[in-house]
Amino acid sequence: MKKILIIDDDVDFTDSIATLLEGAGHEVLRARDGDEGVALALAARPDVIVCDVMMKERTEGFFTIQRLRRIPGLEHTRIVVVSSVYDAIPAFKVEPQQSWLRHDAFMQKPVDADELLRLVEVSA
Amino acid sequence: MKTLKLAREDLDLFAAVLQQFGVVHAPVRDRGSVRFQRIQRWSDVELKYTRTVLPPKKYFLPQRETLLYYDKNGYRPATDQLDERIVLFGVHACDIRGLNILDEVFLQGPHIDPYYQARRSNVIVIGIDCLPDEHCFCRSMRADFVEKGFDLFLYEIGEDYLVLVNTALGDDMVLATKSLFHPVTRADVEEYKTRSQALRASQIIDVEIRDLPEILELEYDSELWQELGSKCLACGSCSMVCPTCYCYDVADDITVGCNAGTRCRQWDSCLFSSHAQVAGGENFRAQQADRVKYRFYHKHRGFVAEYGHPSCVGCGRCTTVCPVGINDVTVINRLLGVSHVSH
Repeated sequence: MKKILIIDDDVDFTDSIATLLEGAGHEVLRARDGDEGVALALAARPDVIVCDVMMKERTEGFFTIQRLRRIPGLEHTRIVVVSSVYDAIPAFKVEPQQSWLRHDAFMQKPVDADELLRLVEVSA
Repeated sequence: MKTLKLAREDLDLFAAVLQQFGVVHAPVRDRGSVRFQRIQRWSDVELKYTRTVLPPKKYFLPQRETLLYYDKNGYRPATDQLDERIVLFGVHACDIRGLNILDEVFLQGPHIDPYYQARRSNVIVIGIDCLPDEHCFCRSMRADFVEKGFDLFLYEIGEDYLVLVNTALGDDMVLATKSLFHPVTRADVEEYKTRSQALRASQIIDVEIRDLPEILELEYDSELWQELGSKCLACGSCSMVCPTCYCYDVADDITVGCNAGTRCRQWDSCLFSSHAQVAGGENFRAQQADRVKYRFYHKHRGFVAEYGHPSCVGCGRCTTVCPVGINDVTVINRLLGVSHVSH
């Protein structure tokens, strides 16, 4: 069982993903923006973070992930980016191998539920 | 050096990717003032600002820093945080000029300051142009345009920015987001020239400084210094906010038992009463008037003699923070015998 933090301003998406993850036996925390996400991450120290990019601002997720990585103990926490940002800005794709964003996996919205579950449950 | 174009609407994307080069710090409006600080999101950034409370020198010469730790076995230098990579986004030309002046003090000669050097090499500087206000006189101090001391410089042209790439690192930053940058057109060049002329024309203050060192020499015994001395509170605010004031005090914090300690340095000001006091109690500038005079002389005469140019960059910070309204331009013009400040 993992503690999973979802940071996304899309309530419907968050609810559906949370249902999936809780159904698989995980504990799910929800945050609607970067500030809330960072505060929850500080307090709860999740095992996995599922983070959107385009929230109140189209780059909010990018800055949020950098803030999360600066939290002691979360430097290596698994972060799965789930976003439609590359549909909106196709020329701006960042592969996980490119170290600047420091995420572990990327999924384009709409997500494949089984694939998301697999990425979240991967062991460190 | 090459020049490219970046759309204003893509600045947030560029800043997001810049995080791979370091933690991004930019001007942020905080409690009514604009300050350089680490940004949490792009919307916090305020690029159309006139001046920040503290200049960027706080990143290279912190207000207080530990220099070394020592105990009975010896000492070791304090290297914590010296290797932190920072991207300083949105620095005005006058402040970059200020950093170049600090470079002359701390990075040249036989005694290079290793702490300043480490920070300077780990902080990336991205400049941006600005509109002056009624306190700016950077043009008079030849600080409204810089040719070095930055990695990229952004010039606003309508809905885009002309981006001057000044270093290899600046080139790396552009390449990291190359899809955002576009070639400069003839129309862009003309737009830049138009804006540049408008910026020059918008400077309200025009101060002639070429013979100011000689004037200062001739006015050494002027009544003006007594007048300023009686007005000045010696609060040191002007020194604190000045991009090029670099005086510091060194003190030891020793543990109880005197077994260990830390040596620290912190900002000082030539306006403080103890600044020129030496062991034995002699104070070479005991009078307030002498200290006020010294500050002007250092900026506009002493520094010129040693480095070939004044250390004032005309940012106007000292004027805006002085609690008793001492205005550097007014003082200079009184010395010059000029009755007006506008051009």
